[in-house]
Amino acid sequence: MNPILRVQNVSKRFGGVEALKDVSLEVKRGSVTGLIGPNGSGKSTLFNVITGFYKPDFGSVYFEGKRIDGLNPDEIYNMGIARTFQTPRLFGPLTTLENMMLSPKGQRGESLLRAPLRKTWLNEEMQIANEVKSLLKEFDMDGLYKMLASDLSGGHVKMVETSKGILGRAKLILLDEPTAGVHYAVGKNLFEHINYLRKAYNLTFFIIEHRIDLLFDYVDYVYVLHMGRLLSEGTPEEVASDPKVIEAYIGGA
Amino acid sequence: MFDISSFLISWLPLFGIYAILSLCLNMEVGYAGMANFGLVAFYGIGAFVAGYTSITIFLTFHGYNYPIYSQEAIIAMGKVAGKTPWLNISVFILSLILSFLIAGLAGYLVSYPTLRVGPAFLGITILSFGEMLRVFMKHFAPTGGAYGMLGIPHPFAWIPDSAIKNISFLILTLAILILVLIYFELLANSPYGRVLKSIREDEIASLCIGKPVPQIKARLLFVASGISGVAGALYAFYLGAVTPDMFITAVTFEVWSMVILGGRGNNFGALLGASFFSLLNRATSILNFLFSDLPIDPNYVRWMITGALIVIILMYKPKGVIAEKPIKTEAWKIFGAYGESRRKLIAAILKIIDYLRRAFYWLIGRETGYEPDIKGSKRE
Ligand SMILES: Nc1ncnc2c1ncn2[C@@H]1O[C@H](COP(=O)(O)OP(=O)(O)OP(=O)(O)O)[C@@H](O)[C@H]1O
Ligand SMILES: [Mg+2]
Repeated sequence: MNPILRVQNVSKRFGGVEALKDVSLEVKRGSVTGLIGPNGSGKSTLFNVITGFYKPDFGSVYFEGKRIDGLNPDEIYNMGIARTFQTPRLFGPLTTLENMMLSPKGQRGESLLRAPLRKTWLNEEMQIANEVKSLLKEFDMDGLYKMLASDLSGGHVKMVETSKGILGRAKLILLDEPTAGVHYAVGKNLFEHINYLRKAYNLTFFIIEHRIDLLFDYVDYVYVLHMGRLLSEGTPEEVASDPKVIEAYIGGA
Repeated sequence: MFDISSFLISWLPLFGIYAILSLCLNMEVGYAGMANFGLVAFYGIGAFVAGYTSITIFLTFHGYNYPIYSQEAIIAMGKVAGKTPWLNISVFILSLILSFLIAGLAGYLVSYPTLRVGPAFLGITILSFGEMLRVFMKHFAPTGGAYGMLGIPHPFAWIPDSAIKNISFLILTLAILILVLIYFELLANSPYGRVLKSIREDEIASLCIGKPVPQIKARLLFVASGISGVAGALYAFYLGAVTPDMFITAVTFEVWSMVILGGRGNNFGALLGASFFSLLNRATSILNFLFSDLPIDPNYVRWMITGALIVIILMYKPKGVIAEKPIKTEAWKIFGAYGESRRKLIAAILKIIDYLRRAFYWLIGRETGYEPDIKGSKRE
């Protein structure tokens, strides 16, 4: 089966820093793929290149066979790639419901011309709200619909962030350190949730994670970045026993 | 010495104009988080477009070809302004439309290059645009340079009774204000309003969920600047004259004060702010007029009060007097919140009735009307 995401010979430098050097990798459709590496190894930069925040200096990115490097972030989202950031970025003063209702793409009521004409979008709006409700119910959060995102607990924020891509009909979801800043048990729960979502919604996940112990229980395949280069790849077992990886982690960057 | 109706006639049109401006600014700043420090530019463009269009059409129609700012033109305008009601009305409508389009286009063009970078760039760019435009207009002969244009034909100049003329204009202004308010309330309480708020909170995150942020901002600036232009046109017709120095940067910050005081992200807050500051404005002018030998110019006091109020508001009510509310698209009904909010409403009404009852008893008998809590005291 052809991969859902293909990164080909991507390089990116910031002044003197070579954040990515000739990185090539593939993410299989339906997989949970991990991306690990010491701090500053270029993981977030790779995500930023994939989602259109940075244009690569060299190389190209393909999503479902279509070339996407050079597109803007909003265009890439509309093609079906959702992402989260290393620090949570929900819209604080908006409610959980409002936060989730922002995710579906191309809503009629979001156009300046149609917005004042309630009739043209109210149906769609209610449909989306229904969908949000049933999604929130799946992880027992429907009671929190009117809580402001800034008042949600860390675990709930992560739940909302990882799930809301589903409302946007994302096919591939990129998570940048989803368990950062939450308790081990919450992190475990989150990975269970991710696993559930993948099966229930036919999703593909590509996950940056520092908690390798957690990650390795749930991923099918892992890539290791080190100083901007792809150092190793394989199943969790293969990577865990690769001396180069151990060296990179113990040697420190 | 002071009668309420003439006060209202002098205050309400200004309130209407300022309220339209503060609603526009609230859309930009309160909802979308765009720091528009150059609102006055679009207001001024609207005023100049209206003045220029209306005088030119009138002079041409009546067969004069004086330059529009010349003494002869002003005298001629005085003669012909009240002769042709249909022309007054149609010129008025045409001027509003042109003001909307030209001010809107200016907003779109000026802001477009800066929308992809942070909000500060937009603010500074428009701020300097406004100042440059004002200085330019002071030296631009075709619109009268620093003296501007006089004799702008009032849309109701053909009504002989000046009170009726003024009241008609007042009603027209308030009607436009109400239309703008309804339009913005509809915009705000829609998925579009939700997107604006997401942009205000985090542009990057909004971009990441597929919202074309630069485009959304540019279009909003078109609409809001255009409506600010309409406010400018109304102002020009209200005063019958425009000069570049009416559009100094302080006007922008006066409208900012209205929005900050009233409550960002809430259209009714913007209205409240506009009514408060336009009242303060009138009050100081009246003081100035009534007591010409005050030790200190009330206009300065006005700015001091404005400054002090903003500090106080930001300290004690950082969200403004009327704080922002979640948008109302009825999506929450799905969660069964409908009944809940109705219960809350009923409880609130009961509470108000209770207060009224207590107030009533207090007034007639100086008693609360409550029985002493016998059960409670017995148990003790
Ligand atoms: N916008 C930028 N400008 C300049 N340098 C940058 C920029 N973004 C990233 N870098 C540099 O690129 C390198 C890779 O950074 P990146 O954030 O991708 O690392 P990371 O693997 O995500 O690290 P961490 O685990 O700490 O999140 C670092 O040296 C970083 O300083
Ligand atoms: Mg990172």
